[in-house]
Amino acid sequence: MTALEQQQLPGPRSGTRRRGSPLGSKWTPYFFLAPAALFILVFQVVPLAQEVFLSFTRTSLLNPTHSTWVGFDNFARIFGDEDFRRTLLITLVYVVVCVVVAVGTGLAVALLLNKGFRGRGLARALVTIPWAAPGIAVALIAIWMLNPDYGIVNRFLDTIGLGVPGGAILDSPRYALPAILVTTIWQLFPFTSVVLLSALQAVPPHLTEAATMDGAGRWWTFRAVTWQSIKPTVGLLALLMTIWSLRRFELIWLMTKGGPVGATETLVIDLYSQAFDSKQLGSAAAVGMVGIVISLIVIAGSRFVARAAEREAR
Amino acid sequence: MRLPHVGLTLRIIGVLLVLGVAVFPLYWMFVTALTGDSELFASEARLVPDFSQFGVFIDALAEGKATTWLLNSLVIAAGTTILSIGLGIPLGYALSRFSFRGKVIVTVVLLFTQMLPEALMVVPLFALFRRFDLLDSLGGLILVNSAFVLPIVALILKGAIDGLPREVEESARVDGARPLTVLLRINVPLIAPSLAATAVIAFFHAWNEYVFAVTFVFTPGLQPASVGIANFIGELGTPIQTVMAVSFMFTAPAVVFYLFVQKYVVAGMTAGAVKG
Amino acid sequence: MRLHRIRRSMVAAVSVTGMAAALLAGCGSDGGSEGGVTKLTFAASTLGDPGRGPLLTKWLEEFNKSQNKVQVSPAAVPYPTFGQTILTQMGSGKGPDLIRFDMPEFESASDAGLIAPLNDLIDVSKYDLLKQPDQFMVHDGQRHGIIFEASNYAMFYNADLIKKAPTTYDEFVETAKSLTKGDTYGLAFRQTEAEEAGVWQDIFNYVYGFGGAWSDGKQLTINSPENLKGLQAYKDLYDAKVIPRGTDAATFRRMFAEGKVGMELNNGGYVTATRGQNADLNFNVAPIPFPVRKQGTILAPIVINEASPAKEEAATFIKWALEPANQVKLQEILGASSVATVTQRSPEKLKETPFLTVFDDLTESSLPQIVLGFEAKTPDIRKVVVKNVIAALQGTVDLKTALDNAQQEASQLVG
Repeated sequence: MTALEQQQLPGPRSGTRRRGSPLGSKWTPYFFLAPAALFILVFQVVPLAQEVFLSFTRTSLLNPTHSTWVGFDNFARIFGDEDFRRTLLITLVYVVVCVVVAVGTGLAVALLLNKGFRGRGLARALVTIPWAAPGIAVALIAIWMLNPDYGIVNRFLDTIGLGVPGGAILDSPRYALPAILVTTIWQLFPFTSVVLLSALQAVPPHLTEAATMDGAGRWWTFRAVTWQSIKPTVGLLALLMTIWSLRRFELIWLMTKGGPVGATETLVIDLYSQAFDSKQLGSAAAVGMVGIVISLIVIAGSRFVARAAEREAR
Repeated sequence: MRLPHVGLTLRIIGVLLVLGVAVFPLYWMFVTALTGDSELFASEARLVPDFSQFGVFIDALAEGKATTWLLNSLVIAAGTTILSIGLGIPLGYALSRFSFRGKVIVTVVLLFTQMLPEALMVVPLFALFRRFDLLDSLGGLILVNSAFVLPIVALILKGAIDGLPREVEESARVDGARPLTVLLRINVPLIAPSLAATAVIAFFHAWNEYVFAVTFVFTPGLQPASVGIANFIGELGTPIQTVMAVSFMFTAPAVVFYLFVQKYVVAGMTAGAVKG
Repeated sequence: MRLHRIRRSMVAAVSVTGMAAALLAGCGSDGGSEGGVTKLTFAASTLGDPGRGPLLTKWLEEFNKSQNKVQVSPAAVPYPTFGQTILTQMGSGKGPDLIRFDMPEFESASDAGLIAPLNDLIDVSKYDLLKQPDQFMVHDGQRHGIIFEASNYAMFYNADLIKKAPTTYDEFVETAKSLTKGDTYGLAFRQTEAEEAGVWQDIFNYVYGFGGAWSDGKQLTINSPENLKGLQAYKDLYDAKVIPRGTDAATFRRMFAEGKVGMELNNGGYVTATRGQNADLNFNVAPIPFPVRKQGTILAPIVINEASPAKEEAATFIKWALEPANQVKLQEILGASSVATVTQRSPEKLKETPFLTVFDDLTESSLPQIVLGFEAKTPDIRKVVVKNVIAALQGTVDLKTALDNAQQEASQLVG
């Protein structure tokens, strides 16, 4: 997937033109492209264009075909709203923590599983289970485990003396976001560890051996050899985690609906409640546009970092 | 001599801890499903399943609804997997092997659509589906789910094809094979691990999807399991054990499917990444 | 060998894609009429209730047996997203033919013209409708719904734990406190944002029971002194930890059924649901012991979707439901709720459930949980009020400020 990162925009450097190439006529690529392109055009681009339009209108969910053009009013309103600024901040916290902890935990687990031991295959298979669990099922079991009175989490925390007062974890502005983060990361870390594990296994063993032979310490070996070769994978994972976390919906909606007092309201939750609770499709679309712009900045930024790293490597 | 031993013990403890964290919630789902009413609300938690309560699974299945939901989920997930891969292979191939006018736009659009949250698209897609008479059908859900996973599928497959040497297909071309034949006979078999990876992503996406399924399907007989489970969450009461039993049955096939293909997934997922 | 296998799987893949396409073409059906039979769908979140859901489905089957031209089948829309789902569908000109709404959604849908006017479809003069709840079904002379269920709020209590029901607010607090120990709670109510609609229903009893109101019909009165008093009572009980905090309604109702919660203010629909969860629970019902005898009522109208292609047939169903025998059956399914018309409770039912009359006697003093004068804006006002009240529960602001904020935000909303 890094390959895609590097090649997706054929800049001036990749100037190999293949007019009349052995791969067929100039129409050949369009033949391969057409079905998928048509599909994406109909089911993604057209609805998205409608949303862009909606973000400049006042439109009710109850009558979505009648829109009143209001220019930038929706954007002016959401940016003037203190709650929206909090939403942006919470989105930032949520995404950053998800990315850092999911990748960090993933790396730790990958390092743990990287050494050969008996039953490693089984361990690797079991660790990946959370990733396969459907979001709605995860939310339901998380809610039950966090139940203030009968949830196993509170019972455990009480036993070790770390109990949250009243056990109300999802109900407290202080603990709700951490609880949702833990649940999210529980679902994400298998993915990052599996990907990082195979990246680790692709590190040429003779390099690490050579470093060890030279008397380098473990930490130095890790930094100089291992980290250098898994860095691109880490970068890619960070990008994926960012995009996925920005759009995560079901887990948060089912667990807290963005509450209490907005403590877990991310952009997508805000979008959903604007559209379906407040029935304001216009403001919802505007919130959506803000999210999309943020994602674009993240992607552009990651490409910039990747390029800089490449230049440095040269 | 002693130190490595300590290291090994620590490693074993670490692995067991990670496994415990990974598996416990699912285990707890199973235990909760198999806990009697009085014990569910007792002051001490029941830590092991009570197999005398196993009837909850049978009851959930016997009612017939849960079976229908799971089957619908399966049809949607399998359909989405096939359709998105069927469209993703040629798209990934075109992006990998050809340069053509509009390639930049196509790639940017693909990356871009990865960021669209489902909730944003529900209303315009509803209108679209209405026009094409796709509402209230499993086929419609297959289409919409495919549209949402197609970009990532195509991008992963493009990365995989990028990693293949060109020589083989070029010699086949010289022998007079047509591009489609080259793709299907030569490239596709070589990217099988990446196909498995994308299959998993597509399958899970569709298996889990809730927002479209709940809005676009009205007939109870066509609802997938994600919506079916939500049906249990009532205003006046939620039968916790039944919900957990159905959730467990909803989770298990996905996990089994994953364990089945995980070897390929790991290889395929990182085909491009490791290389970079 | 390997190549071969993959090729075969490609063939399989292509043929399955073909099947999927065929499925697509076949599944685009839309209900409507087939072979002279009109198929209608009926959406009601009640259809998912334990106890009541299966009985309601049977009741629908009785209708289907009585007809040869119209068939009604349940459209199961999950409760957590019921309003959002149905309104999205209706706004786009789709959705079930018949819907059982809750009041706030009913008001905004009828205001937006999504509900079929019933004046020409159903002649209500033939039926003995209950006047107090029925007045809310008519807007400017045009009828938009028929009461499907009207369910007054009362105090449910566990008769094993509470020998004598409290009759004053002080006794109520005292009882709640004395029962709370270990894993048992004296009381339960909704207090999380995830249950916004439920919190709105629950605080309604505190506001109106202490003499307050959301509006005077012309102006919002969210921060009136009476409202503050009522909501302070609500907050005091929350602060006193006599309720299972952070627990959702579905769970604390299970707890009530298991004898772990002593009292709950709830509507009559809860009777059947509780028995459905624990047939042996010894519980009783009394009026809510707040200073003013005014409480909320769940009014749930049944309406016809303006977008339905078969309004006449849908009206056939409503007319069938209004027939006296079917009203009695519906009432028995719904439990202690009343239905659209005046019905007599059978002596057997009264013997089985003597407290049914408690609910019936409350009809005159019960009000639907909408903001009078701002009916169509109720969901928006609800969102603002609940958000601010919960902020006060969580201690981020004091209650007075929270209500002032709510008043200001809501006034801006209604313009």
